[in-house]
Amino acid sequence: MFQYFPIPELTRTLLTSLVGVLTLIGIMTRPFRWNEAKIAIGGAGVLLLLGLISPADAFSTLVRDWNTFLFFLGMMALSALAEAAGLFDWLAVQAARLAGKSAARLFLNVFLLGSLISMILSNDATALILTPIVYVLVTKLRLPVLPYLFACTFIADTASFLLPVSNPINIIIISRFPLDLWTFVRLLFLPSLVVIGINIGVFFLLYRKQLKGTFDIGRLPSAEQAVKHQAYFRYTCCVVALVALAYVIASAIQLPLSLVALSGAVLLLIGALFWKQTSLRQTAKRISWSIFGFIAGMFIVVRAIEDTGLTSMFGNWLIHLSGGTSFGAVMVGTAGAALGTNLINNVPMAVVMISALGGIQHASLAIQHGFIAATIFGCDLGPNLTTVGSLATVLWLLILRQRDVDVSGLDYFKVGVLVTPLMLLAGALTIWLLL
Amino acid sequence: MRVLCCLDGTNVEQVNKATEMLSTSQPLTIGLIYVTDTGPRHDIEHLRERFLRPPGPPPPREEEMRQAEKASAQDILDEGLHHFPGAEALQRQGRPEREIVNTAAEWQADLVVICSRAEYGGRHAIGPKSVGHVARFVVDHAPCPVLLVRPLAREQFPISR
Repeated sequence: MFQYFPIPELTRTLLTSLVGVLTLIGIMTRPFRWNEAKIAIGGAGVLLLLGLISPADAFSTLVRDWNTFLFFLGMMALSALAEAAGLFDWLAVQAARLAGKSAARLFLNVFLLGSLISMILSNDATALILTPIVYVLVTKLRLPVLPYLFACTFIADTASFLLPVSNPINIIIISRFPLDLWTFVRLLFLPSLVVIGINIGVFFLLYRKQLKGTFDIGRLPSAEQAVKHQAYFRYTCCVVALVALAYVIASAIQLPLSLVALSGAVLLLIGALFWKQTSLRQTAKRISWSIFGFIAGMFIVVRAIEDTGLTSMFGNWLIHLSGGTSFGAVMVGTAGAALGTNLINNVPMAVVMISALGGIQHASLAIQHGFIAATIFGCDLGPNLTTVGSLATVLWLLILRQRDVDVSGLDYFKVGVLVTPLMLLAGALTIWLLL
Repeated sequence: MRVLCCLDGTNVEQVNKATEMLSTSQPLTIGLIYVTDTGPRHDIEHLRERFLRPPGPPPPREEEMRQAEKASAQDILDEGLHHFPGAEALQRQGRPEREIVNTAAEWQADLVVICSRAEYGGRHAIGPKSVGHVARFVVDHAPCPVLLVRPLAREQFPISR
């Protein structure tokens, strides 16, 4: 609208900021239980209608980030098809068998399995597929459920920066600020091991009493029961192993990782259709299509704000706060990303951060790498502070509590508050040492 | 006398011993209750929300979770019935502490027998936090007398005076 009726720059900036802020508040609070995707698309739609961003700019923004969209698609399809083969169930049963009869060793194995799954198939697979499987397993074994559930949900994020593919957030960030595999691994692999170690150590300390027992191995389902179709299962194992290898090679030679994820998913889909283990419709049902709307909406909203210069001001402020040192860059980047990711979801925070950090090219390489690694680290690990959702969710749970409604989600928050700041600090210091 | 015994999967022998100690002239009518805690399931729902997924795991997984809960609850109650032949088994779902007190009222229990907390091995430590939140809630809200069964811990005495 305002494209045809020119308005002062200040008004345009104020209007864009207002729509942007309202969109972010909407995502935080989700009024009337609206889906986040509707809110993000709504915000983008208002900006387009008012002419605060041109359709051409919006389109070019979405096209520029094709790698992110396709990676989300490939990642979700790959996990869904691997689940259809019974891969996750089989791995969980093996983890339990390898534990002997010890509840504590099973706890450790859940952490290790969660790390492995997050590393190759992303944190979504651990949080959304492994968690219910572990719930079923420990329920059958008559072990205390909560420690194992917490282990799954926390390790999903804690192990999500071992590789670029371990979290879609990493793809969003490195699509804009390419990091070669060696730099990524050099800056984030060791911090990842450090925080995984802290996570496991603190959890063993917290749940030491509940983990002293043993379980009856006879209650364990057999590995064969977990596998739905032998040939498809073996095929899936081979494809997932190939995909893992291809991820490493593609990261090393800077090929788009979405192509690897999509190719893996297509291979699995062909196998699943051949052995009649799933249909195209069933696979499509397992993909959360609204995520694409959410990301698209966020990209457009943040692009419009970027045009007003506000995000670069935010970026300059972050650089100023860092004091122009690599230590400051890592600390400010980590704290900013971790706090932001708890206020809004980590996807919008990552989009805001990459827009804000657009102006760091003139800084030294150590500061640039410091900010990028810290943004990945903070956006990936930050959600562990409020694992069950954003701060808004936790505030809602607190209100419920005041109304005498007991909510176990608060237990997550207590554990998150205890362990996450420690992991953030230790991880950030390790990144700084490796710069 | 109607006695409602709360099972948690680890305490059937303790509860059995406690009821044997009840020397009463009236015959005991025993009810065994096991509550499947729905809290963890809600947490999984919240987690899906955070990852921007529709609520509830896919139907086959949901069914598998329900079956596991049901089988585990039945297993615990069967174990209880082995110790208390002829007892009435009451399988519930929800928040354990609230289900126990509500069932005690509905079932018209004269006494609720509950252990201080589920014990998964290790030493039964005395002191603060030795009574779990479920037992604490039941003691606070039960519609009848409550027998709180604590494990023997004589070896931890004397404590400082």
